[in-house]
Amino acid sequence: MRYAALLLVLALAALGAVVPDPNVPSPGPAVGSESPAVAVCTVQEGSGRSTTIAVLSTANGQVDLALFSGGLAVGTLQTSTGASGSTLIPVGDIAAVGTVGALLELPNPTSTAGVLVGGATSFSAEACPAAASQETFLPGGSTVAGENFAMQFMNPFAGEAIVSLRVVSEAGLESNERFDSLVVPPRSSRSVDFNELLPGRERLSISVSTELGRVLAVGQLDVEGESSVWNAVTASDDWFLPIPAGQPSRTLLIGTPSAIEVDYQVDFYGPEGLEEALVTGVLSGGGQAELDLDEISLETSAVRVVSNGPVVPVFRIDSPEGLATTTASPVEANRWMLPGASSRPGGFGSLVILNASIEDAVVSIRPLRERSSIRELPVLSDSVLELTVESADGYLIESTSPIVAMWVARTGAATGAAMGVPIDDG
Amino acid sequence: MSLRMADASTPQVAGTQTTEGSPPAPRVSIIITSVEGAELDTALAIVRRQAYEPFPELVIVGDVGEPPDDVEVYRTLEEAIAKTSSEVDYLWILHSDARPRPDALSKLVTETERNEASLAGSKLLIAGTKDILESVGSATDVFGEPYSGLEEGEIDLQQYDVVREVAFVRSASMLVRRDLAQGLRGLDDLLPPVAAGLDFSQRARLAGGRVIIVPSSEVYHQGRCNEAGTGWREQAGRLRAMLTAYSPLTLLWVLPYDFLVSLLDVIGSLALLRGSPAVRHVRSWAWNTYHLPSTIGLRRRFSSVRSTGDEELFRFQARGSVRLRELGSELTARVLLAFDDDQAIVRGSRRMTTSPGIWGAAIALLVVLVGVRGLVFTGVPDVGFSFPFESPSVALNRWFNGWNETGLGAPTSVHPVVGLAGAVSTVLLGFESAARTLMTIGFGLIGVLGVGMLAGRLGVRGPGRYLAGIVALSGPGVGVLTGSGSWLGLGAAAFLPWAVLAAITNTGERLTHWSRHGWAVIAGLVVASFSPVLAVAPLVAVVILRLLGTRGPRLFLGVMVVVAGAIASAAFLIGDPAWLLEVDRRIGLDVEWFWPLLIALATLPLAFIGVEARRLGLTGGILSLAGLLIAQLPLGGPGVEESALVIGSFGAALVVAAGLDSFSADARRLAAVLPSMAILLLAALGVSNGRLGLPEGEINERFDFATTLAEPGGPGRILVASTERTDLPGESRSGPGFWYRLIDGEEMTLDEVWLAERGPGEARLLSALETMSTGSDLRPGQSLAPFAIDWVVLLGPSFSLDEALVAQLDLVPTPLDPDSRVFENSAGRPIARVDGGAWLRDGVGFAGEPGPGLVDLAINHDDGWRTDPEPNGWSMTVSAETGQASFEGSHHRSFAAAVAGALLVGLLLLVVGRVRR
Repeated sequence: MRYAALLLVLALAALGAVVPDPNVPSPGPAVGSESPAVAVCTVQEGSGRSTTIAVLSTANGQVDLALFSGGLAVGTLQTSTGASGSTLIPVGDIAAVGTVGALLELPNPTSTAGVLVGGATSFSAEACPAAASQETFLPGGSTVAGENFAMQFMNPFAGEAIVSLRVVSEAGLESNERFDSLVVPPRSSRSVDFNELLPGRERLSISVSTELGRVLAVGQLDVEGESSVWNAVTASDDWFLPIPAGQPSRTLLIGTPSAIEVDYQVDFYGPEGLEEALVTGVLSGGGQAELDLDEISLETSAVRVVSNGPVVPVFRIDSPEGLATTTASPVEANRWMLPGASSRPGGFGSLVILNASIEDAVVSIRPLRERSSIRELPVLSDSVLELTVESADGYLIESTSPIVAMWVARTGAATGAAMGVPIDDG
Repeated sequence: MSLRMADASTPQVAGTQTTEGSPPAPRVSIIITSVEGAELDTALAIVRRQAYEPFPELVIVGDVGEPPDDVEVYRTLEEAIAKTSSEVDYLWILHSDARPRPDALSKLVTETERNEASLAGSKLLIAGTKDILESVGSATDVFGEPYSGLEEGEIDLQQYDVVREVAFVRSASMLVRRDLAQGLRGLDDLLPPVAAGLDFSQRARLAGGRVIIVPSSEVYHQGRCNEAGTGWREQAGRLRAMLTAYSPLTLLWVLPYDFLVSLLDVIGSLALLRGSPAVRHVRSWAWNTYHLPSTIGLRRRFSSVRSTGDEELFRFQARGSVRLRELGSELTARVLLAFDDDQAIVRGSRRMTTSPGIWGAAIALLVVLVGVRGLVFTGVPDVGFSFPFESPSVALNRWFNGWNETGLGAPTSVHPVVGLAGAVSTVLLGFESAARTLMTIGFGLIGVLGVGMLAGRLGVRGPGRYLAGIVALSGPGVGVLTGSGSWLGLGAAAFLPWAVLAAITNTGERLTHWSRHGWAVIAGLVVASFSPVLAVAPLVAVVILRLLGTRGPRLFLGVMVVVAGAIASAAFLIGDPAWLLEVDRRIGLDVEWFWPLLIALATLPLAFIGVEARRLGLTGGILSLAGLLIAQLPLGGPGVEESALVIGSFGAALVVAAGLDSFSADARRLAAVLPSMAILLLAALGVSNGRLGLPEGEINERFDFATTLAEPGGPGRILVASTERTDLPGESRSGPGFWYRLIDGEEMTLDEVWLAERGPGEARLLSALETMSTGSDLRPGQSLAPFAIDWVVLLGPSFSLDEALVAQLDLVPTPLDPDSRVFENSAGRPIARVDGGAWLRDGVGFAGEPGPGLVDLAINHDDGWRTDPEPNGWSMTVSAETGQASFEGSHHRSFAAAVAGALLVGLLLLVVGRVRR
């Protein structure tokens, strides 16, 4: 028995050495991330300006709007998108507020919102961002005489947010302790007036780095009573920008948040089709380049900006007919929503659609309003289509091939332009 | 006796000693008190041989048949004393079972006269022995407890032969001045012999008399009067003697003091598994209460005779309590006996330094003391699987009636240790925190002692057997268990050797057949309370030991341990079989690769040395390696894993006990010693953190914000989540990319360690968490509110929930803990919600203002709740009419009754065993 026991000991020891270690238990598989069906809009009420929020959706569903300021909901509204899937919400009807943020809870993920800020001599439009990124970038600021540039940081969430700004101008990297660890309390928004901090700068680009929480940042430029609003976005290396015709003083600003040089190339989609590498250049670290689009063509056109580093292109119209700024789109998509896209009373509006794919596309254009009709138009490969818009809450554009869409509107001396919102069908 | 009697020196007759002109010898009357069973004729015959002139007159007290003509008979001693002629100088009160030497009386009289004493006692020797001393007069403590200073079986070598004053003399043979005896009215009839002697001696002293012992007056005592001085009557008698003799001022402090001493005596005796002192004390106090009127009468009568204060009594009393001193000595001896089979310490012999077990035990205890130092100063950590006990009433109620509060609640039984913890806390007067700390410190001592005793019983008596206890507590398996915070694993490791011991007998042991069975049942209940599956281990060990030729192990006892263990854990295992079977629920602990190697290396040489060491070593090697292998294989759930790891350490401890049994230059012995030493050192390192290997951490302290910031409805639940399972307290559930669990916001307690099976609420919660972790839930607080989750705490590295909770509206990040991300649920709700308020926890249930409405309980629905439970989705409502919401599990009581019954059977067997012995 002694030897049998001995053998057993040896066998057990050998088995112990051979048998692998027990698997460390692991939790269940992680689920993918989804964005909540929300949008955060900048709201400017007072001083002769009022804000209207356009909500578009593929469903007839409930919309909850909360105006947040100082940690509180200063105004709330519950409405519905109705049968048309769209609604316009004049913020002035909810509460008399100044510059605040608005959080919209939308009916479903294929919903979007846009903001229209109008005054006696001003008009600006921009889509309301849905998701807040940790790092965003906003080129196109200016604090030269007659121009007022400010950024609004909106934190609609439950936790405090802290952001740091990296500001680069033609003078290089700007240093100011007020750019560091900027606290945006929960359910609040905070504005930074760059004219006060950095007066006389012609070209400002701002990198927004979120250290805690999340914020959504928008830039606002006022020039002689006219204003424009555009979103800070995540920099990328491939951008699309449809350009409307007939608008003088159109420029393309390309900025990079990168600290090192970035090579870029601008492909041009004009009446003659695609012209690759029409412009190439190098952006210095944090630098910004400006391209006069009028010099290339006054027709409806589009550009694609490709770079070997992160950049953000911004389209600007700055003329006696008005001021408008919008950020290019980093993606193509088959469905686009253009909240607020509409002809202006006493003015006009147009949609600009770029088909940068290799296939021709048939786009169906549907104004979202009661009793709307759908138009179907072909858009050839590598071509741009511009068509006027009717009065609507916004537009839904669906295409057989990936496209990029934006809209522009003008009334009197006020112009607004906004890139459409691509709809992910999941 | 006969030899001594034969050798007696020539009697010195009092009359013959007197010289002409000297005063005549004092007159003495001999009063023989009849003792049942003692031969009166023989007593008279022996008394008649007394060499004393003038020969005393003889008086018999008691119910005797036909007395001799020259002897007067009285019914009571008091009557006999009262009737004594005033010409008599002394009375010699003698039991009929006393056999005085012929010169006993003369010596008594001579010394009494010489010392001007009033009361003198003889030296008592046990009749029928070779002069074993029974009494040479006694001191007492303040409670009248006699203290003779004699050792049991001490032989009379005249070592005490000095006439001296004593506190009291025995009534078996006492000479008393006639006038004093008549003044004191003799002995108290109600008192048994020793107490009567004490009482009479005390009264004699307080009356101004001297009480002496006259060792030269030798009396052989048959002891038929049952003068052992024990029993409740004697105790009651001592109390009555106190009440009679002491002044009111003395009684004012001595009675409460006596009560306290009695209480300590009872507790100490219970520790020695003796219940009789408790009964004795109760009967003693009851008897005195009943006889209080006669005691008061005695005091009154005695007050006229009293001439000195109590100080005169104190002069002859020992300090403190004799009873407690003896109890302390016995307890100490028992403890030392456990470590010192040779009783070298107890006997204080020179062998102490060379006694094989003592040094090993001393070092092992030192290591344990170092190993528990942190527990002594800061208590047991609240981390891993180690959490505070609930209050005993709640723990026992939960164990008896059910409702497992883990997660969102379940009707299944809690882990059996909850009942044990409740019972221990109850014994410690409800101090559950002290109970936990004492139990944990006790694990160290119990484990070391258990392995030492077990190895000793299996024939290995070297120094290694106690040192091996450290390996049982912190060896390969238990080390990783305690490292993960498994308090239960530590407890199981401490008690396993005892469970195996209970299944092994040897020829030298003092236990009876019944006692062995009782111990087996109790050991099975205890070890299974800590680790249910582990109750199988003793049977396995018994089988292996028997196969290897060891005779002591008994299969039947092993089976009894298993059966008792099954009874203790049946409710828990039936309620949650996955704990036993589901591999995914395992903790996933990994034993370092070198442990099996070391154990194999230590075992192999043992196969070729001494028989006992070989059997023990091979048994240990097989158990340890098999345990570690099972822990490695994907077999069974966490219950199997835990038990396998404990067995791994236990087996290693047996190997070390055998390996370090002796030290020599022999190559085989050296080959066994070296790896055994390595195992021992590694294990000792494991307990060196001061917490017996338990990790550091205070989860409850970290999370006390939940209580501090609680709403009036009390703290709700805390959802804790991490990608690292070990970050979470107790068992956790698998979530989408992370582990999570709910804990009680008030405090996580021991009953919450193991989670009950998922109920419908848990399924809903998982679904909510899946949605939350995508980041699409803008109001996660609202989603968690139905589960009464007030707080979300994310631990460990940042993960999907961190990202998801950055952009949401109602979980407010709150920097309350620097090591975790804490979110307060602004949409939280109480666990028990009523219209416009909340009910609070009340034991296992809830209580609040009675009303006509419903109480919305955020717990899984079960019909066992009272009153009028109605499902509300996964949760439930009950009627608010009674102001109470309580749970009554349908089967819990029968399971609890089975455990209680098994415990009762075990205790009964122990009692029967003791009686039989």
